[in-house]
Amino acid sequence: MISRHTVQVTGAVLALAMLSGCKGMPDVIKPGTKQIAQHGYAGVGMETNYDPDDIAKTAAYNQAPKPLPPAPPGPPGQYKNVQVLTNISAAEFGRTMTAMSAWVAGGAGNCAYCHNTANFAADSNKGQPIYTKLVSRMMLRMTRRVNSDYTQHVGGTGVTCYTCHRGQPLPNGLWFYSNENQILRHYLDRDDIRVQTHTIEPTNGNRTAIRQTYNTYALMITQSKALGVNCTYCHNSRAWSSWEQSTPKRVVAYYGAAMLRDVNMNYLNPLQPVYPRSRLGEHGDAPKAQCITCHNGVYKPLYGAKMVKDYPALWGAPGWDAITGPLDATGKPLYDGSPLTTPVPTPMGAKLSDAPTTATAAGVDTAMGTTPAPAMPAGTPVPARTTP
Amino acid sequence: MIEYQNLWTRVQVHAPVDPGVPLRGGTWGRDGKPFLFYWAGKIGDAQVGPIYLGTTGVFSLIFGFLAFEIIGLNMWRSVGWDPIQFIRQLPWLSLEPPAPRYGLSLPPLNDGGWWLLAGFFLTLAILLWWVRLYQRTRALGMGSHIVWSFASAIFLYLVLGFIRPIMVGSWSEAVPFGVFPHLDWTASFSIRYGNLFYNPFHMLSIVFLYGSALLFAMHAATVLAASRYGAEREIEQVTDRGTAGERMGLFWRWTMGFNATTESIHRWAFWFATLTTLTGGIGILLTGTAVDNWFLWAQKHGVAPSYPVLYEVKAEQAPYLRGQYYGTSPDSFPGMMRDAAGRLVPQKLPVPQGAQLTGDVEVYNKPVLTSDNMRDSLNADGLFIMSAVYFDTGMDGLRGESEAELANLASLLTKYPQLKLEVQGHTDNAGDPTANLTLSQGRAERVRGMLTTKYGIAAERVTSRGFGQTKPVGSNETPEGRRLNRRVEISSGGKVVLPAETTP
Repeated sequence: MISRHTVQVTGAVLALAMLSGCKGMPDVIKPGTKQIAQHGYAGVGMETNYDPDDIAKTAAYNQAPKPLPPAPPGPPGQYKNVQVLTNISAAEFGRTMTAMSAWVAGGAGNCAYCHNTANFAADSNKGQPIYTKLVSRMMLRMTRRVNSDYTQHVGGTGVTCYTCHRGQPLPNGLWFYSNENQILRHYLDRDDIRVQTHTIEPTNGNRTAIRQTYNTYALMITQSKALGVNCTYCHNSRAWSSWEQSTPKRVVAYYGAAMLRDVNMNYLNPLQPVYPRSRLGEHGDAPKAQCITCHNGVYKPLYGAKMVKDYPALWGAPGWDAITGPLDATGKPLYDGSPLTTPVPTPMGAKLSDAPTTATAAGVDTAMGTTPAPAMPAGTPVPARTTP
Repeated sequence: MIEYQNLWTRVQVHAPVDPGVPLRGGTWGRDGKPFLFYWAGKIGDAQVGPIYLGTTGVFSLIFGFLAFEIIGLNMWRSVGWDPIQFIRQLPWLSLEPPAPRYGLSLPPLNDGGWWLLAGFFLTLAILLWWVRLYQRTRALGMGSHIVWSFASAIFLYLVLGFIRPIMVGSWSEAVPFGVFPHLDWTASFSIRYGNLFYNPFHMLSIVFLYGSALLFAMHAATVLAASRYGAEREIEQVTDRGTAGERMGLFWRWTMGFNATTESIHRWAFWFATLTTLTGGIGILLTGTAVDNWFLWAQKHGVAPSYPVLYEVKAEQAPYLRGQYYGTSPDSFPGMMRDAAGRLVPQKLPVPQGAQLTGDVEVYNKPVLTSDNMRDSLNADGLFIMSAVYFDTGMDGLRGESEAELANLASLLTKYPQLKLEVQGHTDNAGDPTANLTLSQGRAERVRGMLTTKYGIAAERVTSRGFGQTKPVGSNETPEGRRLNRRVEISSGGKVVLPAETTP
């Protein structure tokens, strides 16, 4: 028996939900508040429903840590063998390193995770290359690249190490080759996710098989789960492929896929020779990223917290959202205006081998603290990158 | 009273077993010793057996068993012959048709060949079963209604797995064997061909399917409701007074103005059920052969309504929304280029055709003012409105697309070293006035900050100020007006005289 009271309350809740749905997507989803965001014309069902309990759960995991106190101004270049963070002050450098150890290595002060504590400039320890340091260096390049060149995806929010790492050495959602239908290869080198024809009649322009649709579907579901949203966050489900009926979020996602390709192809996959075997996949490939690696179940990583604005070392440009960059001792901007992004060295490891290749087998570090590039592990198969 | 509303058949037919009439022209005898089964009697006749299989029945069972075994063993093999995993994953296991590259040729056994074989044997089994049913209708002197209904279902089966794949030239178009796999195929088929929802024969099929269920319920309930008058055993005409038939007819005439007859209701049911698979099969047959995108078809013919676009893209913006949208592999990222360092440069990606860029905000490629434009405006009016400076909604962060115009503004300041400017921020009236004031101040300051830090303009030459929503230039009632009101103005504090060409 449903009481009249229940009916009235239910009606009021429904009416409220519908009204709030008209206001569009809120910028920040606050825990504890019921949200129905409408993305399309009334009645077409393009809306996203947020369960307060789910949000409360994900909110706890998606809080940005407090920024470290700002570093005083100072000239760059006090440390040896710095290859990426060459244009920040020594104090800012140290501050960034402290933050990174908390973000990635499980706790502030865990320098030894990446460094030879007897010689911080060294890339090796007891003659062995420190792969964590080599990977971190590439990841810094990647972070600057993302923050400078992918504003269509990361906007003014940007990314830091913490966006993916969350205090852990291994981020979530790392993937490897598994089989020829590996759907996530769209984020590396495989294109064919579009299945629908854009004419009424069949044409030779689209001979896509139904089978391909499975992969596209699965790929879309990984995106949906990664962001904690449903299909209609981006699409009008009556015509998936139509950009005209899609929401602007789909364009953001489109650039996100392009970004992942760059990240996977130019930053993550090339690290393959650096990793120990235990970090590689069964086909010997390096771990790669997908949407959930950054998003962690939330439509904007860390609910859009702008962590990066407090860490100029991770910017890819002299300013972040028009925030002034660090100043030198005389109060002048430290950056000269040229983009900070450093080119990706190709082949991987070229920059790691500044030292003479005559370094002894004992691995005595040179004055510059560099060592020969690590050799590719013997017998490591390198997966083909071409589409069959 | 309660006996009429029982779940079970209320009369348990419990008589000596009866083999039935003598066989006429059967090739085989009837098999099985008949017996009485209580629970069969609860839902039907208590006698089970004997059955007549005949040649067609026997071969049908053999071929059906072969298909079943091929499917099952292939599924078992797919989990490495692990019996526990076979049971656990059974609903998801699949025997897939050949890959598209094989077309209609014969693929290797492990690459779709087993699917072809299983399909062949299953089809043979079904067709032989149909022949067997046809022969029994003849043998019993019945009409052939049952086999025509069955034939309609077989038509749908053949369209899905045989006729349509041949028409489009690829076995890969057919349905996989498996519980969830064949359902997944249905979803994928619909998506691939632009939403089967808009296929008119699919619509018809659904009408007949749901209609069948409705008729089934109406008919069965009507007969049961009148069974206290012997409706299920009645032989009198419907016109006779007081019969169950009259009551049943009157019930529907009184409630909906029209009633079927005891005879016609079965024609209704027969056609609804038979047309479900027949129209469904036609719908599948037309998909990918005559129509490749049912949504577009429906739009062309006015079936799918067009809805207002919520995310405004204007006609003059359309040229900017160029790019490759049509076509498929391998142009998903048609604009992907590499820079000198060999990196992919997706920022050069064209925006997909027709993409909705943002909500109530402009497309980020409005015309960029040159420093000459700015100089002329300052000479004439003492101020101008920045055209291509963009912020994220509700935030004061400058978007990267603002770069070009800010560079021109900086070069204006560089060209005329005596020029001093004020950056003025304005918002529309959406939201809280105080917040808008803060927002406009923040935005103006961001522009100033960019000029001083990135372009090295002396800090004392540029000031910033926010006005919030206090100085609208357009109506706040329309999106157009609000867009005008959200702006950054540059003021020189009155008209100035800046020469067109300065001597360095």
